[in-house]
Amino acid sequence: MIIECKDLTKTYPVESTMVHAVNTVNLSINKGDFLVILGHSGSGKTTLLSLIGGLTAPNSGQVFIDGVENWQQSDRALSTMRNSKIGFIFQFASLIPTLSVMENILLPLSFGQNPAGSRDLALDILDQVGLADKANAFPSQLSGGQQRRVAIARSFINCPDIILADEPTGDLDEETEKDILGLFRRYNEQGTTFVVVTHNSDLAATQKGARVFSMRQGVLSAQGA
Amino acid sequence: MAQTNLEKQINILDYALSSLWRRRMKSLNVLLVFAAVIFLLASFQMVTQALSDKAKQVLVYTPEITVQKMSAGRQEAIPLAYRDKLARIFGIRRVVPRIWGYYFDEVLLANYTVMGMDVEEMPEGSRLDTTLASGRMPTPDEQGRVVIGHSVKKALDLEGRTTFSFFRPDLSLKAFTVSGEFSRDTDILTNDLIVMNLADARDLYAIPAGMVTDLCVYVANPKEIDTIARKISEALPSVRVLTRPQIQKTYQVVFGWRSGFGSICLLSALAAFVILAWDKASGLSPEERREIAILKVLGWETSDILAVRFWESVIVSGLACILGITAAYIHVVYFAASLFRPVLMGWSVLRPDLHLLPRMAAGDILLILAFTVIPYLAATVIPAWRSATVPADSALGG
Repeated sequence: MIIECKDLTKTYPVESTMVHAVNTVNLSINKGDFLVILGHSGSGKTTLLSLIGGLTAPNSGQVFIDGVENWQQSDRALSTMRNSKIGFIFQFASLIPTLSVMENILLPLSFGQNPAGSRDLALDILDQVGLADKANAFPSQLSGGQQRRVAIARSFINCPDIILADEPTGDLDEETEKDILGLFRRYNEQGTTFVVVTHNSDLAATQKGARVFSMRQGVLSAQGA
Repeated sequence: MAQTNLEKQINILDYALSSLWRRRMKSLNVLLVFAAVIFLLASFQMVTQALSDKAKQVLVYTPEITVQKMSAGRQEAIPLAYRDKLARIFGIRRVVPRIWGYYFDEVLLANYTVMGMDVEEMPEGSRLDTTLASGRMPTPDEQGRVVIGHSVKKALDLEGRTTFSFFRPDLSLKAFTVSGEFSRDTDILTNDLIVMNLADARDLYAIPAGMVTDLCVYVANPKEIDTIARKISEALPSVRVLTRPQIQKTYQVVFGWRSGFGSICLLSALAAFVILAWDKASGLSPEERREIAILKVLGWETSDILAVRFWESVIVSGLACILGITAAYIHVVYFAASLFRPVLMGWSVLRPDLHLLPRMAAGDILLILAFTVIPYLAATVIPAWRSATVPADSALGG
């Protein structure tokens, strides 16, 4: 089991009451799984991704990545885990505007491998997302969809075991969306685990054997494959 | 492939450098303001030290004890007869009469210091003629001969001629011929000085025969200065006794007070800079906060982000220190500390055209670093730490 959530709960104070963004979620994900979590805005999908990725601490419950509990680790170990095992695709492009496309993509390698030696890999991934000619461009010179594709390329640069993707095809046109989902499928077939949260209920159909869940008011429920 | 700690630090340093380059206008502005603050502080420190050193060097030419007559709390002429009373005190080597006064030049609005003294009477080692750049001191018999300081020569425009005149109190003119010039090394004391023999000084100020303004006392054993000064006070109750160490202390107090005054002004400027830096740094822009959050999400540790900020600050403050201290050295050596001369040299029109040799001890440099680099580091690293310790999921949005 690569990811395991046990009684995971996250609450936020809203005015005088506590809102359950994630409410007692139990989830087991095996290596190579492709999970699609459907839900409306505010249903708690993004918070669940943050909890799995160790970006925010739960109020109660546990998240295990490869058998290690996220919040029992030091800041260093948690950072190393995020850097080496997880690729994040944010809901918004989240590129650093003053870095070029290539520099943004190589950013996760700063502490893992020699970034200079990984330029060929970065160019290959850029080619796969259709932006090989934009390596030296800056984010401000790209459209929203192109920025999203750069962020997707960045999430693959460390060859992570897990991809956590938040609305990965939100800004993409139909053709590009198809290419990106094809890319996901190829990586998934090679063993990469995907947890994708989306509004797009058709996305699950593009991935072979995807496990589909829905989320409403912080409660996760399985919909079947 | 795991990295060594050294490789990691090199990557962090590389990122810090590129980060400074990416924000080059902002970085340059901070660097220039920071360098200017350090320049002011270092200049002030260097010039104060150099002046104190210079004063110590030239005070060797002042008498070990100066005796003046006081009446109603004010100085008045002292009878030459006191010389005999002083000569009877054991331990006194020599007593030399002196007339010390000022001459106000109404045209130039400048004050000259006039000293009438028969230099040959002074003991070896304290003789002013060893400080001459050219010419010689007037003998007691030579009438109307003077030795002048550098600024006097300039003020009286004595480049092409050697004679000038001053008014006596009855407005009759007394003519002088320049027979020598003081060395620039003693400018701090001799810059505005005119030395003549005792008879000429008495004539210029219309001081009655048998009277002078001071009696300069030279002692056999310099360790006994205080004891002999006490004996003089006891023997001549109506006199004021000034010792060389007291005069030295006065110089130190004057420079200390002036440098203290200046330091307060400069420290205020420094405080303003630190507040500005704090305000700038603590008010991290949304882009900067977002960048920190993205870096954390991508696997950077909080300590890595702080290290980037730390190196950025070290690079900026290190460059600012090098620039500021180098500029201060140039300012003091090549421009004679022109920015601070009005404060440090007093308000005289005839300010010495000093050639200062700056001295800066390691302690002084550390003090400047403590007052500049440490507050700046704190002002930049602490806000970054505050941003880096908040949950990183803010970058995910939604």
